[in-house]
Amino acid sequence: MAAILQNLTYQGIPIWRHALVIQWTAQILSGFLVVFLVAWFFFNIANAIDEREIPYGFSFLERAYQTPIGQHFLPYETSDTFLYAFVVAAVNTIVVSIVGVILATLLGIFVGVCRLSGNWLVAKVALVYIEFFRNVPLLIQLYFWFYIVLALPQVREGYVIADRLYINNAGVSIPFPFPDGAAAALFWIALAVAGIIAGTAVHRALTQREITTGQSSYPLIGGFATAIVVGAVAWLVISFVAGAPFVVSQPAPQGTFGRIAGGFTISGGLMALLIGLVMYTSSFIAEIVRAGIQSVGRGQIEAARALGLSPMSTLRQVTFPQALRIIIPPLISQCLNLTKNSSLAGAIGFADLTNVAKTMTQTAPAISIFILIMAAYLAMSLAYSLIGNLYNRHIRIA
Amino acid sequence: MSTVTEPVTTQLPPPRSEIGLVGWLRANLFSTWYNSALTVVVGALAAWALWYGLRWLFIDADFTVVSTLGGLLIIGQYNTDQACAGQNCFWRPQAALLLVTLLLGMSWGVAGEGLTRRIAIIVATVVALFAFLPYSLERMGWDVRLLLLANVPSLLLGWALARYTRLGTWRWVAILSVAAFLLTLVLLRGLPGVPGLQPVSVLYWGGLMLNLLLAVAGIVVSFPIGIALALGRRSRLPVVKLLCVVFIEVFRGVPLITLLFMSQVLVPLAFPENFPLNALLRAAIIITLFSAAYMAENIRGGLQALHPGQAEAARALGLPGWQTTLLISLPQAIRNVIPAIVGQFIALFKDTSLVYIIGMLDIVELSRKFATTYVENNMLPYLDDVQEVFIFLALVFWIFCFGMSHISGRIERHLGVGER
Repeated sequence: MAAILQNLTYQGIPIWRHALVIQWTAQILSGFLVVFLVAWFFFNIANAIDEREIPYGFSFLERAYQTPIGQHFLPYETSDTFLYAFVVAAVNTIVVSIVGVILATLLGIFVGVCRLSGNWLVAKVALVYIEFFRNVPLLIQLYFWFYIVLALPQVREGYVIADRLYINNAGVSIPFPFPDGAAAALFWIALAVAGIIAGTAVHRALTQREITTGQSSYPLIGGFATAIVVGAVAWLVISFVAGAPFVVSQPAPQGTFGRIAGGFTISGGLMALLIGLVMYTSSFIAEIVRAGIQSVGRGQIEAARALGLSPMSTLRQVTFPQALRIIIPPLISQCLNLTKNSSLAGAIGFADLTNVAKTMTQTAPAISIFILIMAAYLAMSLAYSLIGNLYNRHIRIA
Repeated sequence: MSTVTEPVTTQLPPPRSEIGLVGWLRANLFSTWYNSALTVVVGALAAWALWYGLRWLFIDADFTVVSTLGGLLIIGQYNTDQACAGQNCFWRPQAALLLVTLLLGMSWGVAGEGLTRRIAIIVATVVALFAFLPYSLERMGWDVRLLLLANVPSLLLGWALARYTRLGTWRWVAILSVAAFLLTLVLLRGLPGVPGLQPVSVLYWGGLMLNLLLAVAGIVVSFPIGIALALGRRSRLPVVKLLCVVFIEVFRGVPLITLLFMSQVLVPLAFPENFPLNALLRAAIIITLFSAAYMAENIRGGLQALHPGQAEAARALGLPGWQTTLLISLPQAIRNVIPAIVGQFIALFKDTSLVYIIGMLDIVELSRKFATTYVENNMLPYLDDVQEVFIFLALVFWIFCFGMSHISGRIERHLGVGER
């Protein structure tokens, strides 16, 4: 005891002023406070659940959901379970997120490069685009696009472009390839992926050859050609053996009300959501791209130009690869933001994860659903961070 | 003695095609053939868009929806019969506005020339100009108009107070701002038993007033919480660090709208019944905490970018740990991430439009609801007339957000970010 006290009282400093004692007291107190608060919340929730006889736990997941979901990418019936409905909603969010991220990144890079164009007019147009879409709440933009879609003519008087594209207030119907037989489609997809891998390998080998021998080997053309040839041959063989793996379904008006059947209909809500998300996010990505490109030293660009590279080659082969290292981390966070912002879909009637979960809380315990939502969004963020970090490791300076 | 002959330097003027308007055009628009083509194509598109847009804006667009909504856009249903039965409450938000212009005047008096003066004058002028809106006197009485006009003397009073009394320091402006914000809340909420200040349920607070209140409260409160969280996350104490990491990652991992919605269904369960926590307060707390989590990450970035030598030098000079953090590390860290912090403030202001999910009528939800009601009741012929409302709202938000980012740029240049 005396030895411990001896250790704690250093040069006559009393125990209560000892750094370790203060730190650990503070930690234990704050830990206790938080544990106490959480326990109190859970006690209250448990009380409320008992009093109001709300069912709790996750047993509701096996019950039938019995509520329609607007547009969905997986097949769904109202007799399906809560769990399956939750998955359907999650897939809705994931599809919006992936399509949105791809389009927003492409548009963002384009606008960001335009922003730095030597052409005054192009740079100013890009500036106006960025400053406008960045500074207006996404919700207002979504409403704007949604009410434009709603104000489109009725199905029967809708616009028809080249007999293939139907635009009306129910949404936009486009021709879309649907799998004819599941086995053939899956088989072709597997072969197509194999073709892409082969194409990548060819690209790498040809690049290596170009670097070592100095002979022009056209790696990009070779890679693409390999992938396309493998895909096409696979398509032909499968069509010959088992019929075409995918059949393009054409939209066409049907029945007395002229409802559009066939093809793929992008509902008004989804259309507005995608346009809004892509424009909003791309304005942020454009700024990230601009900052990234500007961070590359002037000397790099001047050296490239002095070596005789064209402005386009300089951008593509000198500036952009270096800028990418700066761009990727904030770009990942913008992709996450897009995914999270897609939860505004509920305001314009698209059934995303949050919107479906919100409806679910009417017949299922809120706390379980909240845990599920958190897990789902966390999984999505982790997936994006993982992909982004892998890519970042791939491009960093070794 | 040799004569030194001046070297003959005849400076020829640059060719006429390289200077002036022609030179500028050649350098910036028509430097190469593809640049010329680009200029023509983009110029034609921009001109078409501008012509179409302006024609729509000034000829086709029918902004009657906006003018019909009128004061609802600003204060929501605050002054309706349900909100304050049997009395006129319009003066309470207006008194709050007078406090704002008073403080702006004081800031002007303290700061002197420059951006602050410009902002103060613009705000007071715009507000005073609202008094001349061409409404009939039944819809907008003399009292309303006079109180709006009173913002100009209020601004001048603030300026005079700062100039000729001892209140003319930033410290007093800050203290009075906090006092004014609390006074505003009391004014708007009302005090039971005080004549003229009958309580108004917060559920009737709405319009732009609600957005601004949520944004101001969120910004003011989330900043210190964010700093605390950032310091906690960098702390060497494992328990504190763990708590901060969990808090930050939970709030950053889930969309705000989910949190707001859950605050509606879950938080009431987590507190005992009769706990004084209404929907607006819950929303304000959630928005603040959400913003604080993002703020913490921004400030952490600033702290990480700071050279460790700064803190080490401070410790070597004998500053205790808390002084090192407060006086050396934090000011530099925050200065370096001003753009990110202001970006977060802007995001917070934009996010206040999400309170529709808990049924509050902020400026966006209110407009949308009323506009669609007009269409349903055939008061407007077509649904696309609703677009004018959203264009108007976009402009309102744009002015605030663009203004904030403009001011942040000025502050950055003033502090010399990126130069030192």
